[in-house]
Amino acid sequence: MRNLTKMALLAAALATSAAAFAADFNGSWVRDGARSKAAPYPNYWLTRAPAAGGFNPNAPFIVRVQQNATGVVVTHPLFPQRSYVLDGKAHSSRADSGLVQVSTTAAMAGDTLKVTTVQPFGGMPGNVTMTATETWSLSPDGKELTITTVREVPATTQSFTEVFKKQ
Amino acid sequence: MTDVNRRNFFAAGAVAGLAAGSAVGLGGAAPAAAGPRPGPGGGGPGLADVWGADFLYQWSPPENYKRDLSVGPRTIRLSSQSTPRVTGAEGVDYGALFKAMRDGGWTACEAPSNAWLERKKPDSEIREIKAQLQANDVKFYGLHCAGNIIAPDPDAERWQRHIIDTIHAAEEVGCELILTHAGSMHTNRNWAHPLNWSKEAWLRSVGALKRICRDTAGSKIKIAIEAVNTESINNPWAHKRLREDVGDDRICVGLDITNMVFPNVAYRMSEMLDLTFDMLGDQIAYVHAKDFVWNDMLPGMNWTMNGTGGMDYELFLARLSRLPLNPCMLVEFLTNNDEYSQAQRNIRAIAAKLGVKIHGTQA
Repeated sequence: MRNLTKMALLAAALATSAAAFAADFNGSWVRDGARSKAAPYPNYWLTRAPAAGGFNPNAPFIVRVQQNATGVVVTHPLFPQRSYVLDGKAHSSRADSGLVQVSTTAAMAGDTLKVTTVQPFGGMPGNVTMTATETWSLSPDGKELTITTVREVPATTQSFTEVFKKQ
Repeated sequence: MTDVNRRNFFAAGAVAGLAAGSAVGLGGAAPAAAGPRPGPGGGGPGLADVWGADFLYQWSPPENYKRDLSVGPRTIRLSSQSTPRVTGAEGVDYGALFKAMRDGGWTACEAPSNAWLERKKPDSEIREIKAQLQANDVKFYGLHCAGNIIAPDPDAERWQRHIIDTIHAAEEVGCELILTHAGSMHTNRNWAHPLNWSKEAWLRSVGALKRICRDTAGSKIKIAIEAVNTESINNPWAHKRLREDVGDDRICVGLDITNMVFPNVAYRMSEMLDLTFDMLGDQIAYVHAKDFVWNDMLPGMNWTMNGTGGMDYELFLARLSRLPLNPCMLVEFLTNNDEYSQAQRNIRAIAAKLGVKIHGTQA
């Protein structure tokens, strides 16, 4: 309940804020499946089976971003809503599984947004530790958003790039 | 080891039942029982109720389950199904094969029984295998059996004979165990059959294993049984009961805990691991290492990279380090050598975080 209240307050602040910031990610973004490399949901690193049922990362969808000088809220159709505090400090929250903690650090770095999360890979107790770094950047005209995600686990380093067009 | 025999369970259950009887709530529902159930019971895995047991399956884990991650003295040796593997084929350069395994961080190995028995090896070849194992510090611990010891007749007899031959072959090459299964009433062991949990199937499995033990009397080779959800041996109680009914201490556990996963335990693996190790720890002859996720509408589990799914690998490795003997652990069911290397890196990283010792190093 406390998280929901915090989220509502942050969303309200974002809606009314028109503060200037280095890069403006506000808006509705349509994923360009043809130019994106599927970033699988980290709960499913399948080895001998087809993709997770009901999860099609290349299906067209819209991601909504609300941003102000202090925070970003990302509403994504495939994941729970994310709220990032842009202070460069680690913030703890529950993983999507609800069973373990995730540490998230977000900050603007010039014209890019960098979000680093550290968590047990699939959100289950005893999983290997994963560090995921998202880098958000805009095209010069501000109409194209590119998110590069690098996931580091002891097994390997995985990299995915997704491209979105402003609606 | 905690003594988790059925008598203790039922005694504990009787006490819990008396306590529950004096504290029935307004709705008439008994409060959740404290501690494990006395057996797999009415479709459950034997784990303690969490909440709402009168109207919900108990599929979510309890909050704040305490995991004992203390590390024991044992060292784990890893083996894999990467290639090349030991098959028994002619003309193998065993020195090169075992060196490649060792260089890759795999310090234990096994061979499939059907390929191994295909060709009788001369004594000189057996001597060469043993010498190269020693030179490269690789342990050849077992033969992994094909076949189905309770297949519809007459195939059952053929496969029981195969297991007996495999035990003799394991002795010859210096292995310590063979791995087999309780079997399926379907010809193909890997396919479920409606009668696999019937009394008839159970008696066929017990009878087949008694015969195998009798025909190999005097052998020191352990007969490790692997659980599989499609067969009767798919929970720790069944493992324990099989050894009792066969009546031979050579019947032990080839622990594959992911093969026992179904929805009731998919999200309660920490508890399932503790339950299984508490009950079977002194019977575990070796171990399989896999991981899984539930990713379909039907209760469909699928294999996933080790350390990324439902398995609590921290607790798994900690419990392995506290076994009575140094365990060998087979990483299996991945698709290629790269994935096996990745799995090993994850396993070694989790072990290093805990302080669990894994033999050898990965390049």
